[in-house]
Order: sequence, then C-alpha cells, then structure tokens
Amino acid sequence: MSTISNDGQMRDAIDAMDTGQQRILAARFVEHVLPLTKDERVQRVLQIAGNEESGDEQLLAAYKAAKAAALEAHARCGSDGEWNDQTGYFVARAAEAAVAPQVMSHGKSVAWQTALSCRMARTAQVTDSNDDAHDSESEAQYRILNEFLTR
Amino acid sequence: MSAPSVEKGIQFIREQIDAPVASFFSSCVHCGLCAEACLFYGQTGEAKYTPINKVEPMRRIWEQEYTLWGKIKSSLGLSRKVTEKDFEEWETLVYDACSLCGRCSLICPVGNDISDMIRKIREGFAAAGYAPEGLIGASKRAVEIGSPMGVKLPAVKAQIAHLKKDTGLDAPLDLKGADYMVLLSSMEIMNFPEYLEAVARIMRQAGKTWTISSKAFEATNAGIQIGVSDIAAELVQRVVDAAEELGVNTVISPECGHAFTAIRWEGPNLIGRPFKFKVQHILEVLDDFRAEGLLKTEGLEEAKLTFHDPCQLVRKGGVVQQPRNLLNMVASNFVEMRDHGAMNWCCSAGGGVSANERADEVKFKAFNQKKSQLDELGVDTLVTACANCRIMLEEGIEEHEMDLPVVGLTEMIADHLVEERVEDKAEDKNE
Repeated sequence: MSTISNDGQMRDAIDAMDTGQQRILAARFVEHVLPLTKDERVQRVLQIAGNEESGDEQLLAAYKAAKAAALEAHARCGSDGEWNDQTGYFVARAAEAAVAPQVMSHGKSVAWQTALSCRMARTAQVTDSNDDAHDSESEAQYRILNEFLTR
Repeated sequence: MSAPSVEKGIQFIREQIDAPVASFFSSCVHCGLCAEACLFYGQTGEAKYTPINKVEPMRRIWEQEYTLWGKIKSSLGLSRKVTEKDFEEWETLVYDACSLCGRCSLICPVGNDISDMIRKIREGFAAAGYAPEGLIGASKRAVEIGSPMGVKLPAVKAQIAHLKKDTGLDAPLDLKGADYMVLLSSMEIMNFPEYLEAVARIMRQAGKTWTISSKAFEATNAGIQIGVSDIAAELVQRVVDAAEELGVNTVISPECGHAFTAIRWEGPNLIGRPFKFKVQHILEVLDDFRAEGLLKTEGLEEAKLTFHDPCQLVRKGGVVQQPRNLLNMVASNFVEMRDHGAMNWCCSAGGGVSANERADEVKFKAFNQKKSQLDELGVDTLVTACANCRIMLEEGIEEHEMDLPVVGLTEMIADHLVEERVEDKAEDKNE
C-alpha cells in the first residue's frame, strides 16, 4: 500500500473505510489536538469513539456531550473573540464529528470532517501570531492515517 | 464626542421624532395586537414587554413637547418628565427584550413601525449611556478593529489558507472588477468556517469571479444594533469604499440577518447616497444561480426538515421564496412551520440580544416560542441562513435536549453540488 502524503490520498483512504473504522481513526486525529482543550468531556467522548465495541446509545450520549462542549466553547456573537479560546471549540467540534449519528452528519465523511476541525483547532491556536500550523497538523494526520492503515 | 448623559439621551430621542413617528403615536389605537405578535411578551406574559410600551419614554417626550394637549398637561404639572430612573427601567426593555424582529410592525393594523421606533429610541439610550456592556464593547471593536468580535485580517487570511490547503479552492483577496464582493460575519469566521468553503465551491461551479476585500470583509454592523447611526454609517461607508475601489458589480451579504438590513436597506440612507453597486443576500444570489441553471445539484436530503426564516431576511428584506426554491432542489421532505415566511417567529437573539449576556434569561424564555413550533412538526433537521440564529437555535435546542441538527442553507446547497474534487482535477491534468 502506498504511503499517504496528500489530502487526495487521505480522502480516498478514508472513503474506503466503513463508519466504524472512520470513528476510530477520527478519535486518533482528535487525540493529537486534545492538549488544545481543557474540557474533560472531550476526552471521554474519544474513549467511546475509539472503541469499536461502542453501541448506538453510547455514541449518541457521546455526541450530546461533544455538542454541549462545542456550544459552551463557541465565540459568542459580539463578544471579544479570542482565537486561543477557539481551539477548544474546534476540538469539541472535531469530537462531535467523530461520534455524530448518520442523521446528524448528513452523510458527510466522519473522519474527514473530524480532520478538518482538528486542523482548524491548530490554525486557531496560532491565528494571532500569524504562524502557519495547518501543514504540521495535516502532516500529523497523514502519519496517523499511515499508522492506522498498517496496524 | 461629549460624554453620555440623560439630557443628551433625551435630546437624541427628541431628534428621532419625525413625521412618521409622530403619526405612529397619533394613530395607535391601543388594540394590543403588537403584544400578541411579540415573542418576549407572549412567552413571559409580562405587560412591560408589550412592544408599544418599550417606546413609552419616546411617546411621553412626543406628547409633552409636540402636542397641544401634552403641552397643557405639562404646564399644569399633570405629566411626568422622562428621567434617569426611566432610562434605568427601560434599558432592559429596549435592549434585552426586543430583537428588532419587526413582527409587531407587520401586525399593527394601522401600520405603525414599532420595531423601527425601538431602533430609534436606542439612539437616545446609547447617547445617555444606558446600553448593554456587550453591545458597547462590540461597537468599539467594530470601529477600532473593523469587527465587533475583534477579528483581524490575518485571521481571514488564515481561513483562506486553510480553505486552499484543504480543498484547493481559492478565496481571492482584493480582486479588482470581480463579479461579487463577499462579506463575512465574524461569527462565520470564528465559528463556521464551512460557510467560506461553501461560497468558494458554489462560485466555482457558477463560473463567477469573486473577492473578499482586505479593507472591509466584515458584514455585521454593531451601530445598527446598539442604535448609533454615526457608527452604523461609518461601518457602511467602509464597505461602500471597498466595493467601489474594487469596482465589483454586487456585494453579497452573508448568512447574517441584521447585516443585510444594515447594508441593503439602511445603508444608502445612512451614507446619504445610492450605492454604485448592487447588494444581495447570499440566498438571493444562490436563487439567481438556480434560475440561470448555474447550480447543478445531486441527491436529496431524506430527513424531514424545516426552515427557520431569519426575521431580517423575510420581514425586512423580502427574501421569502428564495430559500424555499433552494430547499426544494436538495430536500425531499421539506415542511413549513405553522408561522413561517414573513410571519415567522424570531430565534429570540437578534437585534443585539445575543451580544448582551444580561438578556440570557429572557432570551431563553422567548425561545420557547420556537420550541413549540418545532415540537409541532417533529422534524429531523433545522435549516437556517443566519449565523446568529444558528447559534441561538443550537443553544435553545441544547437547553431543551431536542436532538436536532441546525444547518446553514448555503452549506447544504454546496454539499449537494455535482463536482469533482479539485485535487482530482489536478491529477487529471497531470495524466
């Protein structure tokens, strides 16, 4: 199997997975940005997303917890938005995508949506400093995916 | 600018009393229909939240200073002047318990634009220093930084870079002569980056050129919300200057309700001249694309879904049919709420309410109106076209544990586009 080194290959590899596999991969993506949030609920959501034995009820409960974490962390309209605080919001959104039931995700790719929010979390972390963290997170995701595919 | 004071506030209110306002007060028949139309009154049952009561200080000034009977009453000491205590008491009525949704204006049998009067009385309250801290802060940041949430250009550039790397799509900055200049709300930049991606994908398919101005990317207008016309005009002027400098044909107001009202309807009056470009809401643009056959979609949403009409789009902006045309392109089970379109109920957080933390309690009470609408339908998905509505709906749904995803319509349309991935196209070219 060729090594994943760009987004096209990454999406193709993800598209070839079933939803269960995608959730486990998504959990690993979120783990990589987990230090960017202080919300302990997200950690618990990952445990459920990363466990292939998790049932629908557990996933739904995890989804609700992630959704609540994201809502609490979002920048309020008209507030003095702090990009550093937005990292927690995007990590929670990533976790939410990882456990979203089919009807909530509207058929979108679980792992890809999670990956995008993880990248946004990293981007938010450095937005005020003008650094480019996007590539580093993408590279990390390629590495995680390669490891996942060769496990 | 002089310091806020009650005297200044009264003066500002006095200045707002023009012929329409005078005729509105003269023609009110005290029927109470505006109360029934107001979700804040309806969901709390408290008489103080009756829309016409919210402008009572203005009515008293009008009566005492501009009517014969009022002048006689004043001279005999039979009427009460507006005082600091009134400002204290009415501040929460004017800002916390009114989303400027305009339902009261629409229902008034004699045509009084009560919502506009509340917008006007806010001018006096802001001048008197009786405005919520959240809105004062948002207004200052809008003037000083260019965004009520303090979003600066590097953040927009970061989003564009993110978009480019994830999708291969570009969002060109400062492209002269572009067909469209796209405005964004800070809420979209900070919370919903998927909006920008959706616009980029739609524009690519439609074959239109578009740009974001580095000098005026922000759509929202805190001046409108707090009620300071000078600030509102300055913010509109920045957009006008940028659009005219770039020579674009059309400025697109994003999925934000009051931003559309500010730039499309109040804008030319605020700056005192017509624009040299067209202003459209994103849904109007998408519906034009649909009518011209420029949107090719595939698949249908099977979930039972409904559409929450943002008040500023339907009641003040007339954008009623467009979202329905668009939804019918991508949804097989679209159902309407009992009160929809021009008579839809507000999400309860418009008009600056969402930026005002003090208003949270009354806001969530008012949300019960939306909850009852949704409960009646039993839908699986809620679609809307305003980032502020979207957050409020999500918060209300969370509060009531309702398990209902809220989706932006532009994003939903983009998700159904028939398109090749950009990286696939690049690979094809290389073969």
